[in-house]
Amino acid sequence: MEQVLLVRYGEIHLKGLNRPFFERKLIDGINNALRGFGAKVRREQGRIYVHGIAPERMEAASDALTRVFGVHSISPAMAVEKEWNAIVEAAACLTEQAAGGKNVTFKVFSRRSDKGFPMNSETINHELGHVLLERFPNLTVDVHAPELKVCVEIREQAFIYAAEIMGAGGMPSGTAGRAALLISGGIDSPVAGYLMAKRGLTLSAVHFYSYPYTSERARDKVVELTRLVSRYAGPVWLHLVPFTEIQLAIYEKCPPKETTVLMRRLMMRIAEMLAERDGALALITGEALGQVASQTLESLCVTDDAVEMPVFRPLIGFDKEDIVTIAKRIGTFETSILPYEDCCTVFVPQHPVTKPEVKKLRESEAMVDFMPMIATALEKTETLAVEAN
Amino acid sequence: MIYLDNSATTRTLPAAAEAAQYYMSESFFNPAAAYSPAVESERAVNAARARLAGAMNAAADEIVFTSGGTESNNMAIYGSLGAMRGQGRLVVSAVEHPSVYEVMKRLSPEYDVVEAGVDQQGRVDVAGLAQLVTPGTRFVSVMQVNNETGAINDIPAIYKLVKREAPGALLHVDGVQGFLKVPFEARNCDFYTVSGHKFHGPKGVGALYVKKGTRFLGGQIGGGQEKNLRSGTTNTPGIMGMDAALQYYLANQETMWENMRTCKLRLAENLLALPDVLINGPAPEEGAPHILNVSFLGVRGEVLLHALEEKKIYVSTGSACSAHKKGKNRILNAMGVTGERQEGAIRFSFSAFNTPGEMDETAAAIADLLGLLRRFKRR
Repeated sequence: MEQVLLVRYGEIHLKGLNRPFFERKLIDGINNALRGFGAKVRREQGRIYVHGIAPERMEAASDALTRVFGVHSISPAMAVEKEWNAIVEAAACLTEQAAGGKNVTFKVFSRRSDKGFPMNSETINHELGHVLLERFPNLTVDVHAPELKVCVEIREQAFIYAAEIMGAGGMPSGTAGRAALLISGGIDSPVAGYLMAKRGLTLSAVHFYSYPYTSERARDKVVELTRLVSRYAGPVWLHLVPFTEIQLAIYEKCPPKETTVLMRRLMMRIAEMLAERDGALALITGEALGQVASQTLESLCVTDDAVEMPVFRPLIGFDKEDIVTIAKRIGTFETSILPYEDCCTVFVPQHPVTKPEVKKLRESEAMVDFMPMIATALEKTETLAVEAN
Repeated sequence: MIYLDNSATTRTLPAAAEAAQYYMSESFFNPAAAYSPAVESERAVNAARARLAGAMNAAADEIVFTSGGTESNNMAIYGSLGAMRGQGRLVVSAVEHPSVYEVMKRLSPEYDVVEAGVDQQGRVDVAGLAQLVTPGTRFVSVMQVNNETGAINDIPAIYKLVKREAPGALLHVDGVQGFLKVPFEARNCDFYTVSGHKFHGPKGVGALYVKKGTRFLGGQIGGGQEKNLRSGTTNTPGIMGMDAALQYYLANQETMWENMRTCKLRLAENLLALPDVLINGPAPEEGAPHILNVSFLGVRGEVLLHALEEKKIYVSTGSACSAHKKGKNRILNAMGVTGERQEGAIRFSFSAFNTPGEMDETAAAIADLLGLLRRFKRR
């Protein structure tokens, strides 16, 4: 009897001729997540099997797999010979672990992919149910809502399992190209990065800091948030851009009401340049429509006007509550709410413009020659390769 | 580097580090063991105990070694309330360190916890305190020196007041900032807290003075060390390191006071020459010699701190223990220092190893930065 992890994947099935590419990327993702587990990953007939993990580390391994994009679900299973007694023993062992002496309702689900096996699935359900009822007097059958599902699959081996742990879903990392995430240190941007990485994007991230108005701890916080996102997204290239000079120039020379939107435009510009350098084709932001003054429809039009790349805003239709829920689920919330000021909040005007016009903002921006400052900022940008493990 | 955050911690003296090293790698024995090298360790610890007691005019058997200020403060409160029957009133000054203040907050509403206000300098208002100390009062806690402003409390007067109004009450004095910096006699309190790393000893060691005859349960329970008041294997490296720092301090006390005071006055004079600069707390020549709190109007303290950091000058806004918490400064609030003045507050704290030259350099750096930073006020 061997313990294995059964990994199911979803959407990739739809991928026609590109399917091998997606499957390969998924296996890369799994291998990456299981580094150090001594896992052997094998693909067969639309399933992925993970062998070679020590029994006491199974839980940690399946937990790591829940963070791999492209994985639909995971089942820790026992793999045995396709031989009736072995199947019964494994099922009994599983029932013992799950039910023990407690009163539990159960049902057997079986699937016979190998038609060479002498019993069909209905017979397996029946016979195995019968044996388990005899051995465990506390069991009762409930075919509608069983507490314990004893699942049997007859394939190249027989697999017996109870639990199906939901995976992260989405598309395997590295199947959709690269995009650059603007990351501030707040709650939204890590969630936005997570959601886009879930669709297979590889991430670059761009963070702007305004030393001495922001502290070194704010910087560490962003590095940590990026690391947390990279647990799902794989390695992230994080660019740390010094932004003080530009911010001060905006503050001194441009209309006070427009400082935030102007700052957003310049951030987008710089992010686009770094994105191009990285070979990224789009920008990602954590903006949600109407959340703050710089996220009204008019403001978003004005920020979009500063760049040519498409800007992905996966949170655009989300309420704050929904975003917080995801942030908590993916484990970025606690870090996001650490109270270090980020550069967006340092010079917030009292009454920011909520309906800026593209034409006016272009004029305001033209009041200062930002190009040399942008060049300096790019020159002083520090880049880190951030990885989870 | 110019280090002006000595109230957060100080650099360990070489002599203290050497002593600690010796008791780690040479005389590493457990003083509770029975053989002669262990007995020698025990003697050394007891000699250190006697010297520490001497520095506050107490007896050696009134000193309990602990892991530092927080433990001593916690232990003084819990250890004495645990030995009393029934509830009653607890009086705490509004500006105490969290290791006193938060403990008291937790004891409410089981006890009637009341806060004693401070004056504009940050000193406990003695007349106000007299109103609060009722006959049913069990415990009073007042710090010797305010860690934000350097204000010195009149502990002898407070002790007399407490014993007069509530003879059964105990007075605890947090001496973490005050010990060795400002003269102190243990007879003016029932408990006195000392922390080693504030006077160039190592971190992780401190002491609690407990007046002879006080009903006191002590702190953690175990093998019965420290006369069963504070169990745990004796921290010989820490204690002997702290002792070395203490001996250095006692041998050089006058010079050290003089050096700190000179630096403080020099920096205050330099800074007051700049526009829109205000001193928080007592006049510089009055308070403790090592703490100076200054507000720079029109600048946020945190921004000035980071700008100074770029020049390798290290200062603090609020005490380091609360620098991570956003929001208003409780201590300055209690003194009535609010708004722009609170936002722009910086605490400079000196050691005897700072120099007047450093003060001039710091003031010049600040003068430069103020010009720049004041251009960019939050609108």
